[in-house]
Amino acid sequence: MTEHSLWRFSRALHRAINDRHFEDIEALIDEDVEWALYGPIDMFPFLGARQGKDAVLDVIRQLADNFQVRRFDRESIMLGVDTAASMLRYSLTALDSNKPISLRVAQFAQFRAGKLTSMRVLIDTFDLVEQALGRAIHLPKMTSVG
Amino acid sequence: MTVEKLNRQRVVHLLDAFARGDIETALSCCTDDVDFLTHAPIDVLPHMVPRHGKAELRELWQTIWSRYSEVRYKAPHILAEGEAVATYMHTYFRKRSNDRIVQFDMAVFYTFRGGLVAEIREIIDSYDLVQQVLEREIGPLITGTRAD
Repeated sequence: MTEHSLWRFSRALHRAINDRHFEDIEALIDEDVEWALYGPIDMFPFLGARQGKDAVLDVIRQLADNFQVRRFDRESIMLGVDTAASMLRYSLTALDSNKPISLRVAQFAQFRAGKLTSMRVLIDTFDLVEQALGRAIHLPKMTSVG
Repeated sequence: MTVEKLNRQRVVHLLDAFARGDIETALSCCTDDVDFLTHAPIDVLPHMVPRHGKAELRELWQTIWSRYSEVRYKAPHILAEGEAVATYMHTYFRKRSNDRIVQFDMAVFYTFRGGLVAEIREIIDSYDLVQQVLEREIGPLITGTRAD
Protein backbone atom coordinates (compact mmCIF):
# COMPACT_ATOMS: atom_id res chain seq x y z
CA MET A 1 0.00 0.00 0.00
CA THR A 2 1.42 3.35 -1.07
CA GLU A 3 1.85 6.05 1.53
CA HIS A 4 -0.55 8.98 1.12
CA SER A 5 1.10 12.13 -0.24
CA LEU A 6 -0.01 14.05 2.85
CA TRP A 7 2.33 12.11 5.13
CA ARG A 8 5.39 12.74 2.95
CA PHE A 9 4.46 16.40 2.60
CA SER A 10 3.85 16.82 6.33
CA ARG A 11 7.21 15.28 7.27
CA ALA A 12 9.04 17.41 4.71
CA LEU A 13 7.25 20.58 5.84
CA HIS A 14 8.17 20.08 9.47
CA ARG A 15 11.75 19.24 8.53
CA ALA A 16 11.90 22.46 6.50
CA ILE A 17 10.54 24.58 9.34
CA ASN A 18 12.49 23.02 12.17
CA ASP A 19 15.76 22.01 10.50
CA ARG A 20 15.81 24.43 7.57
CA HIS A 21 16.12 21.44 5.27
CA PHE A 22 14.22 22.57 2.16
CA GLU A 23 15.26 19.98 -0.45
CA ASP A 24 12.58 17.43 0.45
CA ILE A 25 9.70 19.90 0.48
CA GLU A 26 10.87 21.48 -2.77
CA ALA A 27 10.49 18.13 -4.53
CA LEU A 28 6.91 17.75 -3.25
CA ILE A 29 5.46 21.06 -4.50
CA ASP A 30 3.96 21.41 -7.97
CA GLU A 31 5.24 24.31 -10.09
CA ASP A 32 1.72 25.77 -10.35
CA VAL A 33 0.68 25.25 -6.74
CA GLU A 34 -2.05 27.45 -5.27
CA TRP A 35 -1.52 28.26 -1.63
CA ALA A 36 -3.47 30.32 0.90
CA LEU A 37 -2.97 30.80 4.64
CA TYR A 38 -5.78 33.14 5.62
CA GLY A 39 -5.04 35.82 8.19
CA PRO A 40 -3.90 39.40 8.81
CA ILE A 41 -1.04 39.85 6.34
CA ASP A 42 -0.11 43.27 7.77
CA MET A 43 0.90 41.55 11.02
CA PHE A 44 2.13 38.30 9.52
CA PRO A 45 3.58 38.85 6.02
CA PHE A 46 3.88 35.10 5.38
CA LEU A 47 0.08 34.79 5.48
CA GLY A 48 -2.07 35.36 2.40
CA ALA A 49 -2.40 33.79 -1.02
CA ARG A 50 0.51 32.66 -3.17
CA GLN A 51 0.79 31.14 -6.62
CA GLY A 52 3.68 29.01 -7.81
CA LYS A 53 6.38 26.92 -6.22
CA ASP A 54 8.94 29.69 -5.67
CA ALA A 55 6.43 31.88 -3.83
CA VAL A 56 5.36 28.98 -1.62
CA LEU A 57 8.96 28.03 -0.83
CA ASP A 58 9.55 31.62 0.17
CA VAL A 59 6.61 31.40 2.61
CA ILE A 60 7.99 28.17 4.08
CA ARG A 61 11.38 29.85 4.54
CA GLN A 62 9.66 32.74 6.33
CA LEU A 63 7.84 30.26 8.57
CA ALA A 64 11.21 28.66 9.38
CA ASP A 65 12.63 32.12 10.16
CA ASN A 66 9.83 32.84 12.61
CA PHE A 67 8.72 29.59 14.23
CA GLN A 68 9.81 26.26 15.59
CA VAL A 69 7.24 23.44 15.68
CA ARG A 70 7.36 21.91 19.16
CA ARG A 71 4.47 19.54 18.72
CA PHE A 72 1.42 18.94 16.54
CA ASP A 73 -1.58 16.67 16.98
CA ARG A 74 -4.06 15.78 14.28
CA GLU A 75 -7.47 15.91 15.93
CA SER A 76 -9.32 14.93 12.77
CA ILE A 77 -8.20 13.68 9.39
CA MET A 78 -9.85 12.62 6.15
CA LEU A 79 -7.90 11.22 3.24
CA GLY A 80 -9.15 11.00 -0.34
CA VAL A 81 -7.20 9.58 -3.26
CA ASP A 82 -5.35 12.84 -3.94
CA THR A 83 -6.89 15.04 -1.27
CA ALA A 84 -6.65 15.46 2.47
CA ALA A 85 -8.38 17.51 5.15
CA SER A 86 -7.21 17.72 8.71
CA MET A 87 -7.74 19.68 11.88
CA LEU A 88 -4.57 20.09 13.86
CA ARG A 89 -3.38 21.62 17.08
CA TYR A 90 0.09 23.12 16.74
CA SER A 91 2.41 24.10 19.57
CA LEU A 92 4.97 26.54 18.21
CA THR A 93 7.71 28.74 19.56
CA ALA A 94 8.02 32.25 18.13
CA LEU A 95 11.75 32.55 17.54
CA ASP A 96 12.03 36.31 18.02
CA SER A 97 10.46 36.30 21.50
CA ASN A 98 10.79 32.65 22.49
CA LYS A 99 7.06 32.77 23.30
CA PRO A 100 4.98 29.61 23.05
CA ILE A 101 2.07 29.82 20.60
CA SER A 102 -0.75 27.29 20.44
CA LEU A 103 -2.87 27.18 17.30
CA ARG A 104 -5.84 25.30 15.92
CA VAL A 105 -5.51 24.89 12.18
CA ALA A 106 -7.70 23.42 9.42
CA GLN A 107 -5.80 22.25 6.37
CA PHE A 108 -7.21 21.24 2.96
CA ALA A 109 -4.64 19.84 0.53
CA GLN A 110 -4.76 18.52 -3.02
CA PHE A 111 -2.02 16.53 -4.72
CA ARG A 112 -1.23 15.42 -8.25
CA ALA A 113 1.37 12.75 -8.94
CA GLY A 114 2.53 13.05 -5.34
CA LYS A 115 3.04 16.83 -5.52
CA LEU A 116 1.07 19.51 -3.73
CA THR A 117 -1.17 21.45 -6.14
CA SER A 118 -3.41 23.28 -3.67
CA MET A 119 -3.28 24.13 0.01
CA ARG A 120 -5.84 26.14 1.94
CA VAL A 121 -5.30 26.73 5.63
CA LEU A 122 -7.66 28.36 8.10
CA ILE A 123 -6.45 29.46 11.52
CA ASP A 124 -8.25 30.89 14.53
CA THR A 125 -6.45 34.14 13.73
CA PHE A 126 -7.91 36.31 16.49
CA ASP A 127 -6.39 33.91 19.01
CA LEU A 128 -3.10 33.93 17.06
CA VAL A 129 -2.91 37.73 17.16
CA GLU A 130 -3.66 37.84 20.89
CA GLN A 131 -0.95 35.27 21.58
CA ALA A 132 1.56 37.12 19.41
CA LEU A 133 0.73 40.37 21.25
CA GLY A 134 0.86 38.64 24.60
CA ARG A 135 -2.39 40.30 25.70
CA ALA A 136 -6.11 40.34 25.03
CA ILE A 137 -7.57 42.67 22.41
CA HIS A 138 -10.35 44.67 24.06
CA LEU A 139 -13.36 45.09 21.83
CA PRO A 140 -17.03 45.79 22.49
CA LYS A 141 -19.31 42.77 22.92
CA MET A 142 -21.51 42.06 19.96
CA THR A 143 -24.77 41.45 21.78
CA SER A 144 -27.13 42.38 18.99
CA VAL A 145 -25.42 42.69 15.64
CA GLY A 146 -22.76 39.99 15.39
CA MET B 1 -24.11 3.84 -1.81
CA THR B 2 -21.04 4.05 0.45
CA VAL B 3 -21.27 5.50 3.94
CA GLU B 4 -18.99 8.32 2.78
CA LYS B 5 -21.36 9.33 -0.03
CA LEU B 6 -24.33 9.13 2.33
CA ASN B 7 -22.65 11.25 4.97
CA ARG B 8 -21.59 13.79 2.38
CA GLN B 9 -25.22 14.06 1.21
CA ARG B 10 -26.36 14.41 4.80
CA VAL B 11 -23.99 17.33 5.39
CA VAL B 12 -25.19 19.08 2.22
CA HIS B 13 -28.80 18.47 3.34
CA LEU B 14 -28.04 20.04 6.74
CA LEU B 15 -26.26 23.03 5.18
CA ASP B 16 -29.03 23.63 2.64
CA ALA B 17 -31.67 23.49 5.38
CA PHE B 18 -29.74 25.97 7.53
CA ALA B 19 -29.12 28.28 4.56
CA ARG B 20 -32.86 28.53 3.85
CA GLY B 21 -33.60 29.17 7.53
CA ASP B 22 -35.17 25.77 8.16
CA ILE B 23 -33.55 25.27 11.54
CA GLU B 24 -35.73 22.33 12.58
CA THR B 25 -34.78 20.33 9.48
CA ALA B 26 -31.12 21.15 10.09
CA LEU B 27 -31.49 20.02 13.72
CA SER B 28 -33.17 16.79 12.60
CA CYS B 29 -29.83 15.88 10.97
CA CYS B 30 -28.17 15.93 14.41
CA THR B 31 -28.11 13.61 17.41
CA ASP B 32 -29.91 14.76 20.58
CA ASP B 33 -26.53 15.26 22.27
CA VAL B 34 -24.85 17.00 19.32
CA ASP B 35 -21.68 18.78 20.39
CA PHE B 36 -20.75 22.07 18.71
CA LEU B 37 -17.48 23.95 19.09
CA THR B 38 -16.20 26.89 17.11
CA HIS B 39 -12.95 28.73 17.61
CA ALA B 40 -13.86 32.40 17.81
CA PRO B 41 -13.40 35.16 20.41
CA ILE B 42 -16.39 34.59 22.69
CA ASP B 43 -15.75 37.80 24.60
CA VAL B 44 -16.57 39.61 21.35
CA LEU B 45 -19.09 37.12 19.93
CA PRO B 46 -20.69 35.75 23.11
CA HIS B 47 -23.24 33.59 21.27
CA MET B 48 -20.40 31.51 19.78
CA VAL B 49 -19.74 29.59 22.99
CA PRO B 50 -19.64 25.78 22.86
CA ARG B 51 -23.11 24.23 22.50
CA HIS B 52 -24.21 20.84 23.71
CA GLY B 53 -27.50 19.28 22.65
CA LYS B 54 -30.17 20.28 20.18
CA ALA B 55 -31.74 22.95 22.38
CA GLU B 56 -28.49 24.87 22.74
CA LEU B 57 -27.68 24.48 19.04
CA ARG B 58 -31.20 25.69 18.15
CA GLU B 59 -30.59 28.78 20.32
CA LEU B 60 -27.32 29.53 18.49
CA TRP B 61 -28.83 29.08 15.03
CA GLN B 62 -31.87 31.20 15.98
CA THR B 63 -29.51 33.93 17.22
CA ILE B 64 -27.66 33.87 13.90
CA TRP B 65 -30.91 34.06 11.94
CA SER B 66 -32.15 36.91 14.16
CA ARG B 67 -29.12 38.94 13.04
CA TYR B 68 -28.81 37.90 9.41
CA SER B 69 -31.55 37.89 6.78
CA GLU B 70 -29.78 35.76 4.17
CA VAL B 71 -27.25 32.94 4.41
CA ARG B 72 -25.46 31.50 1.39
CA TYR B 73 -22.58 29.12 1.06
CA LYS B 74 -20.39 27.43 -1.51
CA ALA B 75 -18.46 24.31 -0.56
CA PRO B 76 -15.60 23.82 -3.03
CA HIS B 77 -14.10 21.04 -0.92
CA ILE B 78 -16.03 18.28 0.81
CA LEU B 79 -14.09 15.23 1.98
CA ALA B 80 -15.66 12.20 3.61
CA GLU B 81 -13.99 9.23 5.22
CA GLY B 82 -15.78 6.73 7.43
CA GLU B 83 -17.99 8.61 9.88
CA ALA B 84 -16.29 11.97 9.31
CA VAL B 85 -16.87 14.74 6.78
CA ALA B 86 -14.81 17.90 6.31
CA THR B 87 -16.08 20.91 4.39
CA TYR B 88 -14.25 24.01 3.23
CA MET B 89 -16.83 26.73 2.64
CA HIS B 90 -17.16 30.28 1.37
CA THR B 91 -20.02 31.75 3.39
CA TYR B 92 -22.07 34.93 3.01
CA PHE B 93 -24.33 36.39 5.72
CA ARG B 94 -26.46 39.50 5.07
CA LYS B 95 -26.90 41.68 8.16
CA ARG B 96 -30.47 42.60 9.03
CA SER B 97 -29.28 45.88 10.55
CA ASN B 98 -27.85 47.43 7.38
CA ASP B 99 -27.93 44.80 4.59
CA ARG B 100 -24.14 44.55 4.52
CA ILE B 101 -22.64 41.17 3.67
CA VAL B 102 -20.27 39.43 6.06
CA GLN B 103 -18.20 37.09 3.90
CA PHE B 104 -15.67 34.63 5.24
CA ASP B 105 -14.26 31.15 4.69
CA MET B 106 -14.75 28.44 7.24
CA ALA B 107 -13.68 24.84 7.76
CA VAL B 108 -16.24 22.57 9.38
CA PHE B 109 -15.55 19.02 10.51
CA TYR B 110 -18.55 16.77 11.18
CA THR B 111 -18.56 13.44 13.00
CA PHE B 112 -21.51 11.09 12.46
CA ARG B 113 -23.13 8.55 14.77
CA GLY B 114 -25.99 6.38 13.53
CA GLY B 115 -26.44 8.51 10.41
CA LEU B 116 -26.73 11.76 12.41
CA VAL B 117 -24.26 14.53 13.08
CA ALA B 118 -22.91 14.07 16.61
CA GLU B 119 -20.06 16.57 16.57
CA ILE B 120 -19.39 19.85 14.74
CA ARG B 121 -16.03 21.60 14.89
CA GLU B 122 -15.42 24.89 13.09
CA ILE B 123 -12.33 26.93 12.32
CA ILE B 124 -12.73 30.46 10.96
CA ASP B 125 -10.33 33.26 10.07
CA SER B 126 -11.70 34.87 13.23
CA TYR B 127 -9.69 38.10 13.06
CA ASP B 128 -11.25 38.91 9.70
CA LEU B 129 -14.70 37.81 10.91
CA VAL B 130 -14.56 40.16 13.91
CA GLN B 131 -13.48 43.07 11.69
CA GLN B 132 -16.40 42.46 9.36
CA VAL B 133 -18.90 42.11 12.18
CA LEU B 134 -17.62 45.28 13.86
CA GLU B 135 -17.24 47.01 10.48
CA ARG B 136 -13.89 48.42 11.57
CA GLU B 137 -10.19 47.59 11.43
CA ILE B 138 -8.80 46.02 14.58
CA GLY B 139 -5.20 47.09 13.84
CA PRO B 140 -5.57 50.64 15.21
CA LEU B 141 -7.21 49.25 18.34
CA ILE B 142 -4.17 47.06 18.95
CA THR B 143 -1.71 49.88 18.61
CA GLY B 144 -3.94 52.58 20.07
CA THR B 145 -6.63 52.92 22.66
CA ARG B 146 -9.36 50.58 23.83
CA ALA B 147 -12.54 50.38 21.80
CA ASP B 148 -15.09 50.79 24.54
